[in-house]
Amino acid sequence: MDTVIKIENLTKIYKLSGKREVIGLLNFNLEVKEGEIFGLLGPNGSGKTTLFKTILGLIFPTKGKVKILGKDVADVEVKKEIGFLPENPYYYEYLTGPELLNFYGDIFDLPENMKKKRSDELLSTVGLAKVKHMALGNYSKGMLERIGFACALLNDPKLLILDEPTTGLDPIGGRESRNLLMKLKSEGKTILLSSHFLSEAEKICDRIGILHQGELLVVGELKKLLQEEKAESFEDLFIKIVKGKNV
Amino acid sequence: MYKPIVIAKNSFKELLRKKGLQVLLVFGLVLIGSSQLFSFLTPGEEIKMIKDVGLSAIEFFGALIVIFGAIGAISSEIEKKTLYTLLAKPLRRRDFVIGKFLGISLTTLLNFSVMAIFFIGLLLFKEHTVSLGVFKALILIFFELLLIGAIALAISTFASSAFTVIFSIFLYLVGNLIGYGHSIMEQTTNTLLKTVGTVFYRIIPNLENFNIRDKVAVDVLVKWSYLTKTISYGLIYVAVALLIGIYFFQKREI
Repeated sequence: MDTVIKIENLTKIYKLSGKREVIGLLNFNLEVKEGEIFGLLGPNGSGKTTLFKTILGLIFPTKGKVKILGKDVADVEVKKEIGFLPENPYYYEYLTGPELLNFYGDIFDLPENMKKKRSDELLSTVGLAKVKHMALGNYSKGMLERIGFACALLNDPKLLILDEPTTGLDPIGGRESRNLLMKLKSEGKTILLSSHFLSEAEKICDRIGILHQGELLVVGELKKLLQEEKAESFEDLFIKIVKGKNV
Repeated sequence: MYKPIVIAKNSFKELLRKKGLQVLLVFGLVLIGSSQLFSFLTPGEEIKMIKDVGLSAIEFFGALIVIFGAIGAISSEIEKKTLYTLLAKPLRRRDFVIGKFLGISLTTLLNFSVMAIFFIGLLLFKEHTVSLGVFKALILIFFELLLIGAIALAISTFASSAFTVIFSIFLYLVGNLIGYGHSIMEQTTNTLLKTVGTVFYRIIPNLENFNIRDKVAVDVLVKWSYLTKTISYGLIYVAVALLIGIYFFQKREI
């Protein structure tokens, strides 16, 4: 299997006023293979969003390299292969769902007929086909999450980066979202996601990594990690590792 | 589609919905409409007053519209986090800045046209004719507004909204007084003051170049060659401002 994400010695230090510094990520190394669902878990402020922003070229690393599909992330063309869903997605409030997808379709350089076809398909997939004429400013949190999914899938990406993908979804929406992720995996997509919900990660991730204070503490298959750390449950494992680091 | 055009179209749609810009446009129209009331200051020179006040109103409210539009164009995308999802897509940062400038230019053109048409309508109503000089003055005002917009946009790529507003308005005022300031500096014997004054004079765009209101008001002919030279001067500043904006925006962390 090919490597889709390769991160080597990634360090991000935020410089604050008065010569103060905050570590976002510290010597972070990770490889994610094609067709894998990798779950990044960690408490708030552990560096998950910093990692995603670095992968997407929104912030710049202090040290280290990030390669996607063998290309440096500084190459904007690599983003044609990435679908991204931010935590609490924000979109242009005055646009409707199809208008938003049309706008992003232009950014992806999708042909006119393809844009329309993908837009219709995706709006049906995420259950927003009936509210086509509603402006995004009137969407609920769950609806924004759904249109976010549609935007992330618009370019039929090889890699999906999902920051807290089920935040804001009700239990039914959460299950639909999990089913969609499993379907995407079966289509060969690689998925990197972050989550606070351990049970969710447990259900869908092939491998997980626990991130704390910018450091990747463990990486591996959940079953193996449970055995290695002699933990009874995923929750035990998480607390043990994160607390162990704090001791 | 060319990416800056995609951004420009969306930016134009967004700016059209800004209530604050609509209010400024209404104020501009009210001032143009009431310009004849100022003729009591100079009895018998109603047309001269309408031209002078009308063109000043178009320039002043046009400048406010373009400054507030430019600030909203980038900072609102950052504050509302829409930029976060947009730059995660295959969009070069330079295309984003150029697109935003095109969007602001389109918005400026629309607002400027509304004020200019109203102003010309008023002149036609009063005088039944409009001199070529009025059109020349309007052309120069439009390019002055583009210049102000490019500078405000460039500043907003690295500074906060508040700083951008204050600094852009400061530049607008200083740019309109710089020739006067320079002539005072020329007379000073303090070398340091003279040097600082000269540096400012060279860097800050001289917006007085775009002001031919006084000549138009009294029907003095302004040559086309002057317009060509002044527009070229403005476009060079626009290009430099955009390059500076692109440079800082490429380094900005979102």
